[in-house]
Amino acid sequence: MLPPPRHVPLGPLNIAIFTIAMFVGCVSLSTAADFENEIQPLLTRYGCNSGGCHGKASGQNGFKLSLFGFDTNADYEEIVEHARGRRVNVATPEQSLLLLKSIGAMPHGGGTRFGPTSEAYQILKQWISDGAPAASPSAPRLIAIRIEPQERSLQSGEIVNLRVIASYSDQNERDVTKQSAFASNIDVVANVSDEGVITAGNESGEATIMARYMGQVAVFTAMLPHGTPLAEIPNFSPRNYIDTLTVDKWKKLGLTPTPVCDDATFIRRVTLDANGRLPTSKEVRDFLADPNPDKRALWIDRLLDSPEYASYFALRWGSILRNSNLAGADQASYAFHNWLKDMLSRNRPYDEFVRGIIAASGEWQDAPAINWYWQSRDDQLHQVTADTAQVFLGQRLQCARCHHHPYERWSQDDYYGLAGFFTRLGRKSFGQPPPYFASATATTGEKNPRTGKVPEPKYLSGDVAMFSAEEDPRHGLVDWMARPENPFFAKSLVNRLWGHFFGRGLVHEVDDMRATNPASNPQLLDALTQDFIDHRFDMKHMCRLMLNSAVYQLGSEPTDGNKKDRQNFARYYGRRMIAEVFLDSVDQATGTKTKFNGVASSARAVDLPHENFGSHFLDTFDRPRRVTGCECERSSGATLAQVLIMANSDETENKIANGQGIIAQFLKDQKSHDEIVDELYLGALSRYPTAEERSKTKYFIDAVENKSEAYQDLLWTLLNSREFMFNH
Amino acid sequence: MLEIHGMNDGNGYPVPDPARRNADSCGNRRTFLQVGTLGAAGMASLSLADLLRMQATAQDPAKPARKKSVILVWLAGGPSHIDMYDLKPQAPSEIRGEFRPIQTNVSGIQISEHLPYQARMMDKLAIVRSAFHTNAGHGMGSQWMLTGYQPTIEVNDNIYPSCGSVVAKMKGPNEPGLPAYVNLPRLLPLGKAAYLGASYNPFSPDSDPNQDSFAVRNLKLPGQVPIARLDRRRVLLGELDQLRRDIDNKGDLIGLDKFYRDAMEMVTNDKAQIAFSIQKEPASLRDSYGRNDLGQSCLLARRLVEAGVTFVTIQAGGGWDTHGDNFKQLKDNLLPKYDQAVAALVQDLHDRGLSEDVLVVSFGEFGRTPKINGGAGRDHWPGAMSILYAGGGLKMGQAIGETNAYAEYPTSKPYSVGCVLSTMYHCLGIDHKHVFYDPANRPLPILNEGEPIQELV
Repeated sequence: MLPPPRHVPLGPLNIAIFTIAMFVGCVSLSTAADFENEIQPLLTRYGCNSGGCHGKASGQNGFKLSLFGFDTNADYEEIVEHARGRRVNVATPEQSLLLLKSIGAMPHGGGTRFGPTSEAYQILKQWISDGAPAASPSAPRLIAIRIEPQERSLQSGEIVNLRVIASYSDQNERDVTKQSAFASNIDVVANVSDEGVITAGNESGEATIMARYMGQVAVFTAMLPHGTPLAEIPNFSPRNYIDTLTVDKWKKLGLTPTPVCDDATFIRRVTLDANGRLPTSKEVRDFLADPNPDKRALWIDRLLDSPEYASYFALRWGSILRNSNLAGADQASYAFHNWLKDMLSRNRPYDEFVRGIIAASGEWQDAPAINWYWQSRDDQLHQVTADTAQVFLGQRLQCARCHHHPYERWSQDDYYGLAGFFTRLGRKSFGQPPPYFASATATTGEKNPRTGKVPEPKYLSGDVAMFSAEEDPRHGLVDWMARPENPFFAKSLVNRLWGHFFGRGLVHEVDDMRATNPASNPQLLDALTQDFIDHRFDMKHMCRLMLNSAVYQLGSEPTDGNKKDRQNFARYYGRRMIAEVFLDSVDQATGTKTKFNGVASSARAVDLPHENFGSHFLDTFDRPRRVTGCECERSSGATLAQVLIMANSDETENKIANGQGIIAQFLKDQKSHDEIVDELYLGALSRYPTAEERSKTKYFIDAVENKSEAYQDLLWTLLNSREFMFNH
Repeated sequence: MLEIHGMNDGNGYPVPDPARRNADSCGNRRTFLQVGTLGAAGMASLSLADLLRMQATAQDPAKPARKKSVILVWLAGGPSHIDMYDLKPQAPSEIRGEFRPIQTNVSGIQISEHLPYQARMMDKLAIVRSAFHTNAGHGMGSQWMLTGYQPTIEVNDNIYPSCGSVVAKMKGPNEPGLPAYVNLPRLLPLGKAAYLGASYNPFSPDSDPNQDSFAVRNLKLPGQVPIARLDRRRVLLGELDQLRRDIDNKGDLIGLDKFYRDAMEMVTNDKAQIAFSIQKEPASLRDSYGRNDLGQSCLLARRLVEAGVTFVTIQAGGGWDTHGDNFKQLKDNLLPKYDQAVAALVQDLHDRGLSEDVLVVSFGEFGRTPKINGGAGRDHWPGAMSILYAGGGLKMGQAIGETNAYAEYPTSKPYSVGCVLSTMYHCLGIDHKHVFYDPANRPLPILNEGEPIQELV
């Protein structure tokens, strides 16, 4: 077998010429293979430098390569110079450890990677016998890769052969398909083989196929329409640009939406999503009876103006901002929670909100957000750097602390550039939390491992930032974030809000925005981002816009026209209530109140400032421990213990049968059967019972002698129904 | 228990192809990468297909699958290795302490005079004296020992999944209708599932089996609800709960249905009730384990693995953090209970023919300082620690590895945390290089270092 071609000029030429070019490449074998351009791709292709093997931080059995071959010089030294030179043996190349291990001729934890007759073996052997030269400084450098084609609309079962073309600094191009790694983000929509062959699957939607070659990535978009493209979306009236831009996407994909939900579903859903609580039975009755055609918009306004909007979003922010009373910060955690509530209820612009956190300085009484720094308490640098990127910029940068991000352009220099904004953050030695301040000099012993120096601030855009000793670099960071042209900041917030209201981000996960994980509707995400910037980072404006859209108000039941939709919001994606909201809902539906130590007796679960209020219920329903900046800490997934609490616990039973509870009250007030059943349904499910439910419940209640117990049984049933547990 | 809840890939799509997640750490680069780009939520949950594949691969068709299980006795606080399994009678008095070694029934192996029951059954035990790590904090040391990963920050919750959660995810319960992973007597700090998903958190009775009032939380019917009343409620729920099961994309609805059936089965069927009914054990056997929370938790653990629970972690009281009055604490309180309970458990498993299938393993987050402090105590010392193994198909009757003259560091066969835990996974037939994904989509093998201890397997 002959080695593959090198730096073959592909240019605009066709495949026939490419074949000839390959031949030319073979002829030019006399020059030794370039370590960076030829050898590193092989080590990557055969998994030698992967995270499970020699690429992990500690290496494997004393042989350590950079992950996916991002550090050519270090890898060269490791292979050629370390291990007393046994890894390559120029005199007898076939005795090189590198080759013996790879073909399994010597014991190798990673097994046989390729055979002695393989192309890879031949290339490596030739390179070694050529003296195992280092990467030539004059060798052309890889600039970028691209995939051809870039996107296709496919039918189930259809096959596409991808080609990955690498372009080099000498203007040459080269087909690197065979050396590239491929991955599909949704392989049931479009699967990709080792060789870059796409097979369209049975599910509809869009899949992004990533190709990776030597630190460069490119994507191919496979679209499997749900039906034939539509010229019109019938029975759907757009109300704002969210709707029109979503309709564009539906038309292209042949999706038809579920009709807009009824008023009862709407008031329950929007009250849960915007205020973190169920509507009361009275609110539901009044809303259903209200003839005003604008009542939905008016209700949305009311919710956004309510203090419960601030309480609920303070809970959501407090969770990802790690607001906790650990590290001796009980009072500070209350103060930070109240600060969040205050900023949200006054609807301060988002950049001001973020500045209050990232640039927090002083004592906790004045700047409660320093608890964000205090709870990270590692060295005020790494966790804060990673959280800043993830929470406020939608970038998962953690990987780049130790190695080049495998799916992104972020390098260690980018990571340490962002960390550089925090290197002068100082804290006093008293107080819990202690006062924080911007020091004139570095306060951290952390070094950028690549430079050996204290990290210097550099924006993620690549621009180096300079600050005088008097300036606090953190303000400079927020200034950069808040620039209208910042590509991350506004986009990340609107995507987070979208994810909150629609059950899935336009980019999913909401804080993992990258070229290889594109938005399901980039035009919509861009429009929302621009709108947010134009409205001076007005969060309530964005909430109002989203909640008033017809897309938000669609029913949740799948139809034939959208049953396979999981990305384009052709229906409302139902989901479980989060732990705190769920406990409050159980309280409300049963007319009881769970008490928490150390807060006012009126405080609901969503009002708790931190996570350390003992509650078996909340823990069982997976209240986050606030140990990450990731929304994903609220993992979904039902458990046995959750079901047991609802179906078979004294805790729930005592709420259902409570002497001051809702059933006791109804019976005391001598409400009629119909009134009681209506109230139970309105309170728990925010709707009146259907005719069928009326007759079934009547039959049940009539059959049970003890009426109090009978109604308790009905309430138990409602609480244990999926309809109650879900926001739909 | 089939974890149906996770029948999607985090994008809400079903996962039909079991082969695609067949990634081992040094394995096929392609599957490795494909997995790497899936959504984090998908990583945090196991698909039905996944589980079927694992159960299929876990079983060697040549020999019938036996129900392997593990009982981990967790000595929270850090047990004193030099006073238990690695005594140094030749060391100066400020090191060797008060306790003397005694001969065991395996020639050449000596352990503490305060472990007489275990000394008489050393042929059924194995000690590793040369385990170690490098973190002397309770939280970080515990997380390291329970998960195999050293965390970078001291937190009160799992950043990495506990070994019990890993087992729950990889194997499920040995018998349907029972939880896979149980903590006794209460939930263990740092015993949770982290990025594996809430479904793999431990189940706990949250009650002390040594108390007459012992009852599994929420397993017994609430007082005012007799079974007939629960039955009529269930019928009514079946009639009224008509919400479509396809409105969420995460599979939570289906998962809830599944757990609802499990829960009702546990509540109404005898299987789980009986498994937890420690009261059914003969008084003499209960006495032999010791009438205390540790003893009775060990007995209950045996009942549970016998019934089909796969992994039980027992929090062995507390108080192992003997900064003060180390010797008095150990000899008067900690060691007698511990010795009796573990010995009774191992003997009981042998008597029932379960010793090959059930691994008992005991350790804490670290050892203790060989140098005795001013308060007759010993402080935190991760440089050397002793691990006790019993059964599980491992080779018993050995003491493996040595520490230096002061029991400070291993001088032979230093075994890392990964070695300690991979030995345990080995007994369960779990590939410790199997890869999971954290929320940042980092591929994280079950263990990132270590191989099973060769002398044991």
